[in-house]
Amino acid sequence: MLLAALAVYPAFGTGYGVRAMLQIFMWIALAGSWNIISGLTGYVSFGHVAFFGAGAYAGAILIANAGWPWVPAAAAGGVAACVLALVIGYPCLRLKGPYFAIAMLGLNEVLRALVSYFEALTGGGSGLSLPTLHATVPIYYAMAGTAAAVTLLTFLIITSRFGLRLMTIREDELAAEAMGIDTARHKLYAFLLSAAGPGIAGALAARDQGYIEPISVFPLATTITMIVMALFGGKGTVWGPVLGAVVLFVAQELVWARFPYVHQLLFGAIIVAVVLLMPRGVLGILQLKYRLPRTI
Amino acid sequence: MPAPVLELRRLSKRFGGVAAVDGVSLALEPGRIYGLIGPNGSGKTTLFNCITGVERRDGGEVVFGGERIDGLKPWQIAQRGIGRTFQIIRVFPELTALENLLVVTRGGAEEARAHALELLRLVTLEGLQDEYAGNLSYGQQKLVEFARVLMRDPTLILLDEPAAGVNRTLLNDLLATVAGLRDAGKTVLLVEHDMKVVMGLCETVFVLDHGEKIAEGPPGAIQADERVIEAYFGR
Repeated sequence: MLLAALAVYPAFGTGYGVRAMLQIFMWIALAGSWNIISGLTGYVSFGHVAFFGAGAYAGAILIANAGWPWVPAAAAGGVAACVLALVIGYPCLRLKGPYFAIAMLGLNEVLRALVSYFEALTGGGSGLSLPTLHATVPIYYAMAGTAAAVTLLTFLIITSRFGLRLMTIREDELAAEAMGIDTARHKLYAFLLSAAGPGIAGALAARDQGYIEPISVFPLATTITMIVMALFGGKGTVWGPVLGAVVLFVAQELVWARFPYVHQLLFGAIIVAVVLLMPRGVLGILQLKYRLPRTI
Repeated sequence: MPAPVLELRRLSKRFGGVAAVDGVSLALEPGRIYGLIGPNGSGKTTLFNCITGVERRDGGEVVFGGERIDGLKPWQIAQRGIGRTFQIIRVFPELTALENLLVVTRGGAEEARAHALELLRLVTLEGLQDEYAGNLSYGQQKLVEFARVLMRDPTLILLDEPAAGVNRTLLNDLLATVAGLRDAGKTVLLVEHDMKVVMGLCETVFVLDHGEKIAEGPPGAIQADERVIEAYFGR
């Protein structure tokens, strides 16, 4: 029923409503993807927006410079993000703990600098404009499909032995290796799977907005928001990122509308409260307390 | 004499200026239980780590089943048939007891599940399979770790202080299981401080002191060996 309601919503909803839903789908795809690498293997990526930005630029360049339609361009955005994940995952996933987090943070800054530098291709600091196209409703469906695909992928991973092996990396990587698990390859696979969603979402967002610039698609704040959403809902669970994305997006919109000047302060306070009071997130707490299966 | 399962040839490992393992050579035959003893800091755990690839050796060779395995990654060595437990327990705390075992299996899911449940029964943990490993008692966690090692059906099993922190009843079950593994043709090498366990179970004992192998022989002879007594009690 919920699916049917979401499917017909664009026919009845306001422009604002459709756009807000599109944003929620985007956050579900981002938080869910972050969860695949960081929630399951414990390798906290502080630069996951890099894949979003890479997808946005790949998609936008193909649309604006090569004249591609937006659907294959969005798929290419996902592929570009996966290629990037392959190239940087190989060296970076050898780093442990905070070093990996910092390397990912650095990667994002490097990418932002690179797109600013190669002006001929990317428009540099002045950005890249896409041809005008009114496709918010089709993009709504595409973004919904991306969010659903990321969530389904998470479900399939978590309920498989591959997923259990990813969790052993989070729990005790040395013991996992001693049990015969090729942790390097498992981490790389998880990293690749976690890059596809943000890449597609980035290309879709670029098409939807019609204009991108380095600071708009590589902001650290986006990484932080997806992390907080996944943490709030419950990292390492299937529905945690979905719950976190919906609740925190709605909360953010309400706070933004009522307290335009202090909304960042309030949002920051929510982040601190989540990390301090419930590091496992809503579903993580419920799962531990009521012995819920891993399929939540 | 049958071909050895594991052979160490002049194995060495240094940490800075300290020779943690210093030219150790030994050979393990199939279907036997070996003990590895020595004072604290004599290199027992480092020796385990060099065999299992956790530490890179600095010199010498590790030969397992006729193949050089020094230089391989820990997971490659585990896949070739060496299983180990750790001195400090390393279960996966937020996975259930059953999941702790399931992660290491290949093949059909049903088959793996049945095998894992059978092993949990073997270590008297039936009924606790859906408990998070981190919620189990210290002794129970040790049993989970032990059962997890057996999931891959290794030919050589390295146990780092299996008796420490396990109560007497559990310990007797554990020792009976180890003896059963030997009877099934497995080779076991165990580090243990509990001399009763070592003397009762092991056929051959190696003694390390300052990284060097100072004695090798049946438990009775080891207990009477001058150098061993000196290493443990000083002159």
